[in-house]
Amino acid sequence: MLESEKEIKQHLKEIKRIASKIKDKQGDKTITLMEICGGHTNVIMKYGIRDLLPRNIRLISGPGCPVCVSSQKDIDCMIELAHQGVPVATYGDMLRVPGSKYSLDDARAKYGKVFEVYSTTEVLELKKKHPDIVFFGIGFETTAPMSAFLLKNKVAVYSVHKLVPPAVEILASDKDIKIDGFISPGHVSTIIGRKAYDNIRVPQAVSGFTPERILRGIRVLLELIRDKKMITVNAYPEAVKEEGNVVAQKLLQETFIITDSDWRGLGTLPKSGLEVRDDSLNAKKIYAKILSKVPEPKKTGCRCGEILKGTIGPQECPLYRKSCTPENPVGACMVSEEGSCAIAYRYGK
Amino acid sequence: MKKEFITLAHGSGGKEMEELIESLGISYRGEWKDCDKDSATLRLGEGRLCFTTDSFVVDPIFFPGGDIGHLAFCGTVNDLCVMKAKPLGISLALVIEEGFPAADLEKILSSIKRLSEEYKIPIVTGDTKVMEKGKLDKIIINTSGVGLISKEEKACDEKIALGDKVILSGGLGEHATALLSKRFDFETRITTDSKPLVKEMEAVKGIIRLAKDPTRGGLAAILNEIVSKSSIGIEIVEDDVPAKPEVKKAVEMLGINLYELACEGRMVCIAPEEKADAVVAALKKFNPDACIIGKVVEGDGVSVRTALGSRILPTPSGRIVPRIC
Repeated sequence: MLESEKEIKQHLKEIKRIASKIKDKQGDKTITLMEICGGHTNVIMKYGIRDLLPRNIRLISGPGCPVCVSSQKDIDCMIELAHQGVPVATYGDMLRVPGSKYSLDDARAKYGKVFEVYSTTEVLELKKKHPDIVFFGIGFETTAPMSAFLLKNKVAVYSVHKLVPPAVEILASDKDIKIDGFISPGHVSTIIGRKAYDNIRVPQAVSGFTPERILRGIRVLLELIRDKKMITVNAYPEAVKEEGNVVAQKLLQETFIITDSDWRGLGTLPKSGLEVRDDSLNAKKIYAKILSKVPEPKKTGCRCGEILKGTIGPQECPLYRKSCTPENPVGACMVSEEGSCAIAYRYGK
Repeated sequence: MKKEFITLAHGSGGKEMEELIESLGISYRGEWKDCDKDSATLRLGEGRLCFTTDSFVVDPIFFPGGDIGHLAFCGTVNDLCVMKAKPLGISLALVIEEGFPAADLEKILSSIKRLSEEYKIPIVTGDTKVMEKGKLDKIIINTSGVGLISKEEKACDEKIALGDKVILSGGLGEHATALLSKRFDFETRITTDSKPLVKEMEAVKGIIRLAKDPTRGGLAAILNEIVSKSSIGIEIVEDDVPAKPEVKKAVEMLGINLYELACEGRMVCIAPEEKADAVVAALKKFNPDACIIGKVVEGDGVSVRTALGSRILPTPSGRIVPRIC
């Protein structure tokens, strides 16, 4: 299934060479690299890439799964809307995430009118039958333009869209973790462009999603770390441009404003989210009365926050594989195909 | 059952369904054996009678290369076939929504009729119910079937042994890709793989240990089921698993797992090493993609060997949903 075994071997050879050079200079100090995107984590685990790297390189998984970072309160709010008879639509992955009592999947079984969509064009179809449909807009810069498209078509949106660069900036300055470099998300970068990372002074490699493209990213990162270059390199030129997708960026500016956003486990990060610009299409405003009655969720004991920051691995969470499994997830990281815990569970780590 | 109500995951053929069935606590089986297999069996003279049932709900009901009727016939016939039984007859029960187009029903029934005549498996009894419009989504079909395992054939419960080969009768994921192309509106030349496995089983039943059809839960579910009651494992080789390039691209695009996708006309056989080539040769007459995909190894569970290393292939759980981005 691999497109290029030869390229993989070359990258691994180079990675070993550079890692040993860094070791000669720095001694046994571990080089910590974080992959931001859950799509990267999945491929890294699927192909066992961690085991192929030299010992002084550690890969940790970051907060890049759109489902995992959505806060429990927002899910409770959507469930409450469904409970009150408001039709809601969102992506399939989101339906399984547990809120305080139910998931949106459960809400559909109990209350109905919860719709799973793959593309936002399906929401336009649903709107014909359900004029007051609310779209639960989740994900990063990759999925936000699709919500923008709905706003342009006068569909109400409950936005929990999040922005990647502010999260990278905060993780890069977090003293608890000490990340030497970031494998930055390929899909997000097709929208925001390589230059969106320019203000973040840390080695970054925008990477694609096949094993050879991830290894290419790691190789580029090691070169940057070796040369002490605090810049972002586009290691995925097949898809990512310097400027990104300008049309999508303009659409986002027209329909959203940048706001502080609540990340599950990480708390409120400044200027890291997108809020609907037009109040008459902002479901949080339209249904403010219903939503104001949704209580703050209780703590579950789940250590999602630390897992999302990469300070602990899934196995160190007391709930992992015990009360938290893919069939009965407690934390969001166990729900999504891209969640660190679900991936670790799936690949038997 | 931990849940206070039923969700779609309970019908997805994974762990949730197992838990649901267990929680029902149905334990009286009389003289019947193999009640946890594709068909239950009962001693009849010197042979064994096989009995199975299946309900079919699929959206859309028409898809490239087939329809719900085609599935309803093949599904039940194949549950008999993989037990090495000769299908004797099936029942056909229809639950139809009021207002359902007569022409669509005719199309569905003609699929069933055609297969029944071609494979000489009669439809011997049936039932029809109509429900008020809006109380049901279009149509549900149930088929049950009986078959006979002759005294010469051992039932499909032979033990697998170290070194045995795992053989797949054709490419993975074609039925799922055909369905997904309708669901997610993309064009493809791929058509469903739905077909009765009568002839395939006839050709190999004397030289294999056991067979299973990878329907719900796909290859991942059945391989795990095969090793779950033994203390040995199965290793498959990723590059050897046949799948058409269009199928591979479609699953990559949607972010779903090829090994968890349902086939409706494929079977996985386990055969002793020395007979594996003969099994492949026999199956290739029906599908050129048939090949050895792995073997029985020491250890437990199912693993996949890739060019870079090896990973675990767990039993699927939850429903299959596409990745967000």
